[in-house]
Amino acid sequence: MTSSGAVSVSVGASVSGTEGTLEADKISGKSENTYILRPVFQQRFRPSVVKDCIHAVLKEELATSEYSPEETPLLTKRLSETIKDKLKAMGFDRYKMVVQVVIGEQRGEGVFMAARCFWDADTDNYIHDVFMNDSLFCVVAAFGCFYY
Amino acid sequence: MLSHRNVEHRNQGGSSKRDGTGGQHAEDVVRSSGKDKDSRRKEIEKEDIDLENVDYMANFEDDFEDYEDDFEVCDDDSTNEPEPREKMEELPPARKKEIQEIQNAINAENERIGELSSKLFQKQGRPEREREPGADANSSPSRAPVCGIFVDFATASQRQKSRTQALKQKTRSTKLLRLIDLDFSFTFSFLDLPPVNEYDMYIRNFGRKNTKQAYVQCNEGTVERDIQTEEMETREAWTQHPGEGAAVSGGSESREPSDAAAVPKVDTLRLSSFLRAACQVVAVLLEEDRVAAAPSRDPGAQDSTLPLSDSAWQLNTSLPFLQHRNVSSLHASPAQRQVVSVHGLPDQACAPPLDRRHLLCVWDIWQPSGPQKVLVCESQVTCCCLSPFKAFLLFAGTVHGSVIVWDLREDSRMHRYVKLSDCFWTFRTATFSTDGVLTPVNHRSPLQAIEPVAASGHRKQSFVLSPFSAQEEMSGLSFHIASLDESGVLNVWVVVELPKADLAGSISDLGLIPGGRIKLVHSSVTRLSDSLSHKGDGRWGAAQTLNVKFLPSDPNHFIVGTNMGFVGHGSRQDLRVFPRFFKPQQHGERPVKVTAVDFSPFGEPAFLAGCCDGSIRLHQLASERPVLQWGLGTAGRAVTGLQWSPTRPAVFFVQDDTSCIYIWDLLKSDLGPVAKQPISPDRLVAMAVVGEPERTSGGFLALVLARASGHMDVQFLKRKWATPVADEQRRLRLLLQKAL
Repeated sequence: MTSSGAVSVSVGASVSGTEGTLEADKISGKSENTYILRPVFQQRFRPSVVKDCIHAVLKEELATSEYSPEETPLLTKRLSETIKDKLKAMGFDRYKMVVQVVIGEQRGEGVFMAARCFWDADTDNYIHDVFMNDSLFCVVAAFGCFYY
Repeated sequence: MLSHRNVEHRNQGGSSKRDGTGGQHAEDVVRSSGKDKDSRRKEIEKEDIDLENVDYMANFEDDFEDYEDDFEVCDDDSTNEPEPREKMEELPPARKKEIQEIQNAINAENERIGELSSKLFQKQGRPEREREPGADANSSPSRAPVCGIFVDFATASQRQKSRTQALKQKTRSTKLLRLIDLDFSFTFSFLDLPPVNEYDMYIRNFGRKNTKQAYVQCNEGTVERDIQTEEMETREAWTQHPGEGAAVSGGSESREPSDAAAVPKVDTLRLSSFLRAACQVVAVLLEEDRVAAAPSRDPGAQDSTLPLSDSAWQLNTSLPFLQHRNVSSLHASPAQRQVVSVHGLPDQACAPPLDRRHLLCVWDIWQPSGPQKVLVCESQVTCCCLSPFKAFLLFAGTVHGSVIVWDLREDSRMHRYVKLSDCFWTFRTATFSTDGVLTPVNHRSPLQAIEPVAASGHRKQSFVLSPFSAQEEMSGLSFHIASLDESGVLNVWVVVELPKADLAGSISDLGLIPGGRIKLVHSSVTRLSDSLSHKGDGRWGAAQTLNVKFLPSDPNHFIVGTNMGFVGHGSRQDLRVFPRFFKPQQHGERPVKVTAVDFSPFGEPAFLAGCCDGSIRLHQLASERPVLQWGLGTAGRAVTGLQWSPTRPAVFFVQDDTSCIYIWDLLKSDLGPVAKQPISPDRLVAMAVVGEPERTSGGFLALVLARASGHMDVQFLKRKWATPVADEQRRLRLLLQKAL
């Protein structure tokens, strides 16, 4: 049965950051440059690599899943944690990642999802991936912001 | 109930701020901490608003100022109280229990995360307490009495740390923001899923109930279909400009066989010259084959094979321009098998450009279908000769005393084309003529003879230092031309070939045709009349010179036939020669014309002289009197032609004016001719002997006969006249020595 209002949405978000150098500065007491304006070339946030990773995770986890109101919140949380850990393991140094996972039930409703960011376009980037099957759709958005 | 609850929350939040109480404040803070949220729709909305408001405490206060006044103390406003209470009573007990459970859950959760946010709460609590220290009059007993007068060192140091940290961050961010520029990115659209209405879904699955997908086929798009379009052949090629390195262009190496038929580069000039030469040769060969295979063209013609000859054929004189013309003389080239026939003016009217012209035809005897070249001349030609080794020049002397040269190599496009009976004929005009030019040195009387004077006598013996350069010899121009006229003037001309033909004509050489390359330059003159007039007692007047021949082995020597019966002997360098005259055996002067003289072509210093009284003399250069003389050979008839055989040293041919041909063979009989052939009814006008001297065996010997009717035929003589016998020359020499 479809009703326009009966949509259950699970939203999970997780934030992580790296702030190691600040501590070191406080201890030494000197004021030296702790910022770098550009990431190391090899460690830029590369969307293609990240997309592959996200895609693999989605395919693995959601291949046979169906939407259920009880399990889906946990599923989103698990997914976002997994993706975040994988991204951290990829070695993007000094990047802050935000991973947002949205899973919704497909009951014929229309969905439009958009995002806009205020960032430095040279160093920061994002990637998104969509997974759909008969019962659910899943949108994953990963944003990588460089910590100067 | 719920609404009341929410209002209470707010109320409590507001009051807790004022009073500094903890529990509900903690509640609020929990909700506004932004960590995990409960999924309640209305609460979510309000909590969102709370989240925003947590940092804006003034807003918070402003928003709920009124509510606070209303609901701050329960006993202040009694009017509102019964309402919530009534509402509470109205709710069924099950509902009440539910609400109670929810409240408990919320409290439990709050405590759970209470420790996490205690710092936060204390931070926020402190400034509140400082601001309104005494506003705790209505604090409900349920609130935890965390406030107090004690000095919180932990929080102070914490605050200090956080303040320095914040300061550091602030300076850092101000420094960085100067270097970085941040801006809004594009709006990324993650998912655009249009709504599906129920009908579409229904229709999509219509008719598929009770079915199960049994089989999947992929790649159904590649259906085999015959295509009309042909395969396009492609070949990759690239080029680069400016080029780097050696390769500036290239392409795929494999070429289709269809386009590998590369057009070969053609040198058109060489090709055309080759074709010109080759076509002639092929035409001659084809004609030879045809004539040899086919029977003779005119079986009933009168000039079929003579008894003298094995075979014969006619030269085609029925060409439109040769009709009605008589042949005046024939001349055969000694080196090659070309014959020149001189034709006179036509009797009847002819095509305008030709009716007042004399014609000369150059024939190849193996190509009787037509002359190879047709030459025109305005004045009557009295004598002609071809260039000695390579017959590409034709010299002629005219009745007006001019010497004319035709260059047979010239391109036929230079000359005039006339279309006669659907066929184009080229009529070549003279390349050079001394007519009107070179007047001081030119002849003033009709030419009697024109002869080439070769450089060194015998071609093979070239240890004589030749006055001609090697190049001239190679190009075949290593000869001079000597022309003799009636009055005894012997002019020697040099043949000059210009390096480049000028189609515009030459200003200096007025006798040269525009585009011609051969011209004559006068070299020397010998007046024979002086030397000849010494002889005799002057009774008969000055002797006339009739013909001249040069000694083949030493061209400095020449003999001149006169009309007084003797043959003069001269030399070009005007040296004294001995004997000066060759006289007949009879003594005394007689006005007998020496009509023909001929040197032996085999190197013997002997010559024959035929006279108009029928006597034939064989002289040797060393002695004045003849070695042999025949007076009755021709039975007293005038000798009109005399020629040694080019193939046999001991044979010569005589033609008399009664259209008879005599063949003499000195080895067989030295008394008279060994054969005699009258030619009738078509009388013989001229005769020329053609032979191949190099081929001793298997060579041919042919007589070209020109008849009075204008017909010409070639008679191939029998083998016995053509093939030399063994050791003929030595035997002849012996014979001559014996006769002396």
